[in-house]
Amino acid sequence: MRTSTFRSRALAFISATSLLAALVVAAPATAAATDPTCNGATPVQTCTGKTSDGALYEMRVPASFNGTVTIWSHGFGTNTSIPGYFAIDSSPQIAPANSAAIVKYLTDKGVAVIGSGFSTQGWNLDEAVKTNAELVGVFKAKFPAAEKFVAWGYSMGGGITQAFAEQYPELLASAAVMNPVDSWDAQSKYFVDLLWLLKNWFDPSIKLTGYADGAAGDMQMLQDIGKYTAMLKALQAGVASGAWPTTSSASAKALQAAGIPSRSALLMVGRLAGISAQSSSFDGIAGPATAAQTAWPLAYAPALGTLENISAVIGYALLGARDMQAKMGGTVFDNSTTDYSKQLSQADRAVYNAAFSGNTAIAGMLSTLNPLNPDAPRIKADAAALAKSKATMYQSTGKIKVPTVMMIGQHDPVEPAGIVQRIADLYEPEFVAAKEAAMAASKDGGYVPARRQLAVLWSVTPKTWSKFTADGLPIPVVGTPGTGHTNFTAGQYKLVIDSALAAAKTGALPVNLNYNHALKNLKLTIDRSSLYPWMKYYDNN
Amino acid sequence: MIAVSALSLSVLPTSAFAAPKVDGVTSTAIKLGITLPMKGSASFGYNQLPGAMKAYFDYVNANGGVNGRKITLVVKDDGYLPKQAIQNTQDLIGKDKVFAMVGALGTANNQAVADAVNLGRRGIPSLFINTGFSGFNDRKAYPTSSTILPSYVMEAKLISKHVKELYADKKICLLYQDDDFGDDALVGFDKDHGNLTFASKIAYPSLSQGVAGVPDSWVSKFKAAGCEVQIVFGVSSATLYTVLAAAKAQYAPKWILGSVGADIASINPATTPYIIGATSMSFLPSVVDPKDEYVAQFKEINATYNPKAKFNSWALIGMNSAFLTVQALNAAGKNLTRASLLAVLDSSGAKLANAGLVPLNYSKSSNVGYNGYWFGTFNKTGDLVPNDAFTYTVYTTDSGTGAVEKSSYSRPDMPAKGLPN
Repeated sequence: MRTSTFRSRALAFISATSLLAALVVAAPATAAATDPTCNGATPVQTCTGKTSDGALYEMRVPASFNGTVTIWSHGFGTNTSIPGYFAIDSSPQIAPANSAAIVKYLTDKGVAVIGSGFSTQGWNLDEAVKTNAELVGVFKAKFPAAEKFVAWGYSMGGGITQAFAEQYPELLASAAVMNPVDSWDAQSKYFVDLLWLLKNWFDPSIKLTGYADGAAGDMQMLQDIGKYTAMLKALQAGVASGAWPTTSSASAKALQAAGIPSRSALLMVGRLAGISAQSSSFDGIAGPATAAQTAWPLAYAPALGTLENISAVIGYALLGARDMQAKMGGTVFDNSTTDYSKQLSQADRAVYNAAFSGNTAIAGMLSTLNPLNPDAPRIKADAAALAKSKATMYQSTGKIKVPTVMMIGQHDPVEPAGIVQRIADLYEPEFVAAKEAAMAASKDGGYVPARRQLAVLWSVTPKTWSKFTADGLPIPVVGTPGTGHTNFTAGQYKLVIDSALAAAKTGALPVNLNYNHALKNLKLTIDRSSLYPWMKYYDNN
Repeated sequence: MIAVSALSLSVLPTSAFAAPKVDGVTSTAIKLGITLPMKGSASFGYNQLPGAMKAYFDYVNANGGVNGRKITLVVKDDGYLPKQAIQNTQDLIGKDKVFAMVGALGTANNQAVADAVNLGRRGIPSLFINTGFSGFNDRKAYPTSSTILPSYVMEAKLISKHVKELYADKKICLLYQDDDFGDDALVGFDKDHGNLTFASKIAYPSLSQGVAGVPDSWVSKFKAAGCEVQIVFGVSSATLYTVLAAAKAQYAPKWILGSVGADIASINPATTPYIIGATSMSFLPSVVDPKDEYVAQFKEINATYNPKAKFNSWALIGMNSAFLTVQALNAAGKNLTRASLLAVLDSSGAKLANAGLVPLNYSKSSNVGYNGYWFGTFNKTGDLVPNDAFTYTVYTTDSGTGAVEKSSYSRPDMPAKGLPN
């Protein structure tokens, strides 16, 4: 069963900074929480309640409870309610998309399965960590037999799980982190670079910042969504001809007049923001069985792959940017001094040179992004909002403090693989040091091998996957492994949580030959040598 | 199933002191890998490299191998696509378990591979890459890569000197590819390097040469500018389409073709006689040189071990790279490791015997192979020759602002039978 069709929780942010102070408490606070109300059913009883911050929670506890508990953190959800578009959903989530099959899979093992809907949605990492910590205490109070807690989550919930493990390692035996968000600073740069670059070239009438408060701001944002949608449709229509959207800026029209096709600019937006140019339908390798077989993957596929990935992320990006503005009381993104030319890597210049239409076109496009170009007005952050963000938002350290399994698609458009790569890169020297320490200790007569505390499972693509009609037109491909957001199979989810459960039991990740065989069957791989670029934020920080 | 965690030992396992296993190396074999275009429109000429390399490896294997090990070469077709080159290299390393990459081709492909596969951090050698992009000499970015061709900066400097000496009063024009390959050449032509002035200069984006009418527009501009000497610093398909467009427009300049675009295998002089008499350059002897010992030896090896393939300039380049590889492997010793192979290139790479008429420049501070060229013209059979007597005037320079000078390099004698010492 492919779980990519799982219901996606929508997106939004809310001002809830009053809750942030609770983060500093060392122990879970349960005073204001309601005790779980259990139905006593067999073989699995269901308990519900509310944490002190109002988050609704649910617990499924098997009669055969073995003392191990999974605590699930769900993905991004909207805090904005616009009838017909977005609705707030704070119902409890206890497994990926509340999959009954996965819940049964776990409870059949004697594992209790719990999770909440969180007290607020949107960028709720800080609030959610606090809720999770409290929920652990609530469960332990109700079920004293609980011994080991395993945190897991994907997307926003992946970031929450990582932050939970970083801040409360004493509460957890292990963690499973799937395609996690990065810290807000890194994530917002990814989102807003994309939005600003698209607006700058293809439709300067888009508002993007300075939305009004409340419902009026919601409608302004909705109007922007409509404009981005129209822009992406125009770009898709212009991929072959090179035509630019009619809403393009004066600078963009000058690029058009210079013979630079819009697909080159579209690809440039993607490369500068850090979006993969390989997507579910476009591999950048295969070409149609026509005269364009070689030219197609070089000139067109990168732009189309970028476009498909932008379509997948742009909703998250816009709602995230608008809601963080509401949460912090002003614009927190600032690109007033950003040198975008530095965000284009040397490898990208070479690999995508034909798709960019050559070095002259690259230089021309980058020149229009000069901060001094009046036709490309930059975003200046609101100082107070920025200060508030810096002072209150948790910044992930990327440290591994409990045995952790991570899973990520190579070309996830919403949470790029570089987010996990960063954590893996930060961990590797620690493991090397642990191995050296183990070797040093051997001189005293005892040798205990260092245990790897982090295993990254990469969901990888097939060798090629693009398909074409006999006329040479691309055929959309849905669900290509290694692409898309949260595009994991039930088998992959089970392997990940089984790995974390095993680590909770033994203190070590179950990495061995049999495990590698299982990974291969599920199109996953552990590869500590391949590199995915970190988020662009880290280039300057 | 035994978990690693269960392997808690009270003493160090003896295996902790055993020599580490090296991928691609056994007591009897060494496995190497190469990715390059083997099929399709971008493969002309290049696809002859692996056959020639294998022929030389087979010859060495038949004569005892390298330190008792037989060499195999795993070849993968990347269609000149960077993403495919990445995939191929990952497969060669991860699945085929090759010891090292050798002779991979293309600037963009190898930049992509270095970036995504990260050969440097993994310590995997990629030797004798067929590119002249000067950026590969960045030891920090490419610590395990080496190129074989002179840099494009060097090439442009040499062309500048050649043109200024022979065509000082002529209008010089330039067609170049609008990427790192072409930009490297622009550096070599600029006032701080070759100091060559152009009456007209056109940068073409890669792939545009195949668009109907585009090469005609270039020729039209060059013709209108009154160009008398036409330098083409592009890929062979750009040369081909430009020459064809020139023939159609009766544009007949003196052609000077950069080494990359002078692939005579795709510009057949029988069907494109316009190319006869064009000037180009090489760092290896002419393949029709009747007195060169390397040419004679390699031609014989090719006839025996690669009998279906014509011995041409690509065969010579491929065999020469294989010859260098064998010597480097031999010098790395019986306890062959990736580090020991790379150390050979750093310490004595410049001293490896080879067919080149200019010296190699491998050292701890240089990833670059050759550093010069001789100029010649294409004859009626499509072979580049220096003159009727096959005497070479070789020029050498650097990628900086150093002078272009006549080389005094005297190539050492070939090891007996073309086998490593």
